[in-house]
Amino acid sequence: MRLAPFQLHRPTELHAALALRAQFGDDSAYYAGGTELLLALKARVLRYEHLIDLKRIVGFDRLARDGNDLVIGPLVTHLRLATDPLIRESLPAYARLSDNVGNIRVRASGTLAGNLCFSEPHADPPALLCLLGASVTVHGPNGERSVPMAEFILGPFTTARADDEILTAIRIPLPTAGEQFCYRSFGHLEYPAVGVAAAYQSQAGAPRYRVWIGCIGDNPIHAEPVEAALAGVPPQALSDVLPQAAEAMAAELPATDDIYGSADYKRHLAAVFIGRAVLESAGMPGGR
Amino acid sequence: MSAAERPDRVDFLDKVTGRAAFISDLDVPGMVHGKVLRSTMPHARITGIDIDAALSMPGVIGIVTGSDLGGIDPIWGVSLKDRPLIAIDRVRYVGEPVAVVVAETEALAEEALDAVMVDYDPLPYVTEAAEALAPNAPLIHDGVQPLKDFYFKGEAKPVAGTNIFQTYAYETGDVDAAFASADRVFEDSFDFPMVYHYAMEPHCGIASFGDDGLTVWSCGQAPTAVQKVLSRIFDLPIARVRVITPLIGGGFGGKASVKIDPLVATVAWKIGRPVRICFSASESMLTARRLSATVNLKTAVSADGMLQAKSVEVLMNGGAYADTGPAVAIKAAIRAIGPYKIPNLRLRSTAVYTNTVPGAAFRSIGGPQGVWATESQMDIIADALGIDPVELRYRNMLKRGEHVRPDLTPIDVDMAEAMGLASQAMSRLDAQEPHRRIVHGTALGIADPANSPVAGVLLRLKIDGSIAVISSSIEVGQGIREVLCRVAAEQLGQPVAAVSALTPDTAIAPFDWGTGASRSSLMMALAIEDAAADIKAQIGDIAASTLGLDPARIELVAGGFTADDKRYSFADLLHPYFGIDSGELIGIGRISPRSRGGALAKAPLFWETAAGRCGITLDEDTGEIAVKRYVSVADIGRAINRTGAEGQDEGAAIMGLGHALFEELIYADGQPVNGTMIDYHVPTIDDVPAQFETVLIENGGGPGPGGMRGMGEGAILPIAPAIANALATGFGIRVKQLPLTPERVWRALQDKKDR
Ligand SMILES: Cc1cc2nc3c(=O)[nH]c(=O)nc-3n(C[C@H](O)[C@H](O)[C@H](O)COP(=O)(O)OP(=O)(O)OC[C@H]3O[C@@H](n4cnc5c(N)ncnc54)[C@H](O)[C@@H]3O)c2cc1C
Repeated sequence: MRLAPFQLHRPTELHAALALRAQFGDDSAYYAGGTELLLALKARVLRYEHLIDLKRIVGFDRLARDGNDLVIGPLVTHLRLATDPLIRESLPAYARLSDNVGNIRVRASGTLAGNLCFSEPHADPPALLCLLGASVTVHGPNGERSVPMAEFILGPFTTARADDEILTAIRIPLPTAGEQFCYRSFGHLEYPAVGVAAAYQSQAGAPRYRVWIGCIGDNPIHAEPVEAALAGVPPQALSDVLPQAAEAMAAELPATDDIYGSADYKRHLAAVFIGRAVLESAGMPGGR
Repeated sequence: MSAAERPDRVDFLDKVTGRAAFISDLDVPGMVHGKVLRSTMPHARITGIDIDAALSMPGVIGIVTGSDLGGIDPIWGVSLKDRPLIAIDRVRYVGEPVAVVVAETEALAEEALDAVMVDYDPLPYVTEAAEALAPNAPLIHDGVQPLKDFYFKGEAKPVAGTNIFQTYAYETGDVDAAFASADRVFEDSFDFPMVYHYAMEPHCGIASFGDDGLTVWSCGQAPTAVQKVLSRIFDLPIARVRVITPLIGGGFGGKASVKIDPLVATVAWKIGRPVRICFSASESMLTARRLSATVNLKTAVSADGMLQAKSVEVLMNGGAYADTGPAVAIKAAIRAIGPYKIPNLRLRSTAVYTNTVPGAAFRSIGGPQGVWATESQMDIIADALGIDPVELRYRNMLKRGEHVRPDLTPIDVDMAEAMGLASQAMSRLDAQEPHRRIVHGTALGIADPANSPVAGVLLRLKIDGSIAVISSSIEVGQGIREVLCRVAAEQLGQPVAAVSALTPDTAIAPFDWGTGASRSSLMMALAIEDAAADIKAQIGDIAASTLGLDPARIELVAGGFTADDKRYSFADLLHPYFGIDSGELIGIGRISPRSRGGALAKAPLFWETAAGRCGITLDEDTGEIAVKRYVSVADIGRAINRTGAEGQDEGAAIMGLGHALFEELIYADGQPVNGTMIDYHVPTIDDVPAQFETVLIENGGGPGPGGMRGMGEGAILPIAPAIANALATGFGIRVKQLPLTPERVWRALQDKKDR
């Protein structure tokens, strides 16, 4: 179907957008790339009288380094994140994640902010952003607040953002030297069935690994048992510990049967990709 | 444009520049727009439709429902008369049209859809063929009427009081005796899912009633079938139903026979204005799909691998309305035979109604279903007997001139050559990257196209030497207009740039059965041959009477002809003949079962064949298959347009790749659950094997000019079993159900480990 008629508003600054939202209330929604919003409106699962387009707001397309943080404005698309030299150099794993999102049309118009606000449980970014310790900044009528990424996604299609708040920035602390990241996802449909983010840090004599699992649960899952099992294990010795740790973790995952696959298969995939992502982050072969 | 500047195909420039007009681009004066409200119920009685609120919405002109059909014949079909123009008191599948809202614009029509309130009283439903056969299954139709020789030759055989709409049986030799005495008997069951055609352009149509009758701009692949069905529905003389077919954005059988024109025309009839209805891709997914099938094979083999008997038992899920399903069911059984010498043969096929999207023709009807089973089982047999699968095929291969079935024309190609070329081409590809571990699989496919030798063409040679080809063959992306131009140019000895192929229009184009079954290039080439002969005869007569030339010494050359070393333009001939410097000659070519001394009536007229060999890798942890290399071989006799023919072959193979790896329309609780192009994955360029080779054999021997055959459907046949065979060879797993999704393959690997 096509979109039901609506009124389009194109504010050029944040407070004008917030004011429009205050004026029209639940009859209105923010609109960025539209890749999710317009599909939902066409399918008529959502309906708004007013769309508040964020694309003309000055400064919303910022992508810059701010002290020790990367700051990603709400209009930054997956395509920009995949190709911008700043991301490619400082966070190559994130650039690669972005390069794998959907298809070129989705990457060229879809924003990271929109992806997070929509909170589709099979989205790629949240697991890696949680692992990176990212936070999001939201602006509402009462001002600005910051929410750690791990607390932002509350479940399928629900976030800590109040409906009238605008996500104005995603902040990612720049990794310390010597920390390496990897994100791996797999699925046979448009969205992944499972995604795993892993980090490896070679602290003298005490290698440290971090792992987050996306897409399988309602929100990204911190694989603390895997991290504990791997703590201190040198990369060369991972093969002795990693498979068991990955499988034990996977067995506990809250997978359910759906079109992405049966629960047991998805748990198995999680174990496979925990293994591959960890190995790849540690620069070991076998992470294909 | 000079010949050198001319692109490979007449329609290329318009298409790449976006100038080409498809139906949705057309605007008929006074035209209004319809949008279809579809059933949300798999099977239900309609207890009420409230249209009042919708009627009062802005721009709404009218709403058509099943209660508006007084005065016309509301039930139609092409094999069985079983289908209401729009749901009448009952719906039989999710997606069935229940009401059409007509408004000044498409947007306003769509806006009003939500306001139409339908009350349903649910009925028990079935979505699986096996459920539909159960003794207590709900009956989906109360009785249906077969239409004999209506579209396909012959007649469906439904079983009264059941959901069965087609039964087919064939037997030759003594099958039971062969099974009883065989060294080995193999019994296997294979499943092929419902898959969707996915033509890039969804179904679309415009209909308009006027003083001169009914005119439709149709996306149908068989304009004359559309014309006939419409004439019956509205009780109009056939000559007063005009079907115009502009460029169509893909069909693959999803627009074959008759699909949406009856609905569009009914709405135009009721509203009294020209009406345009264009579906979305999701709506087209609810309009037609391939029949899913379970194919049970029982094959008797000697210890040295010689096939002795085969029993093929096909059960097809035909959806809510039979459409062309009865023909598909027959072909599925025949196409499961394979290019092998099998002295004792039993074929059985049953097609049933279910509460799902109607099954319909799809590129090589029944072929992929039958070949998937047979070619998988050939490798199962080879493995059990310890014979190389390619060797097993050689041992049993029919030679050119031998019979697939005693009552069908013998096979007219050398399949051993095709299989050998596939192996050779693959070896070449392997040599380019020798270190990579690749597993190979081979499969063959043969199909007996339903070519219906009823066709016609008009050639109009203008005084300036330009030529118009008028036919009913529709340009659906396959390149038929280029073929028409090239054949006409060749037959009349003119440059191809002088020829144009006109938009099919039943008001002027001769009758033709339709565009499908790999027949148009062949049938039209034969008709053009006759039409060109007609023109040449006229030129001879006129040259003799007007210029005093000897017809036997006339030879056509670019722009005219020569006779006794003297060159004449067509104007030199026609100007004195007509007395004015204007005019044309019209050549008529007509093909019937009696043409060419009856030679075109034999069935099949030619065999459409394919050999496929794949090279795959498998991620054993995830079950994901990567098809790295693929070779597709076909003997097409002679290529009229080589790049076009290669494109058809590649397209068919990649379409088959989608069936092999991804595609399946899934039902849960009577509802299609992945009926959008986001949830239903068709292959994209990223899925195409990195190394892909098409080998077209031009050995002649076909029934058309220069020994050509039809083509375009063969390469879809072998790719799925070739991949499954590679899986079995390389990884010891035999998957008998498509698609070969990662999870399904992974599960087979698990089962193997657990064994
Ligand atoms: C075919 C397809 C394939 C895809 N594949 C993948 C995939 O593989 N992996 C993956 O991770 N994702 C995938 N996606 C999702 C894609 O990443 C998102 O669609 C996109 O990033 C959303 O951004 P947008 O700007 O288009 O959001 P919009 O559609 O404009 O908005 C989405 C929602 O967020 C709200 N919103 C947007 N911006 C803001 C803001 N700044 N503040 C507050 N609210 C806001 C809107 O009101 C709306 O509710 C896919 C999508 C499609 C259509």
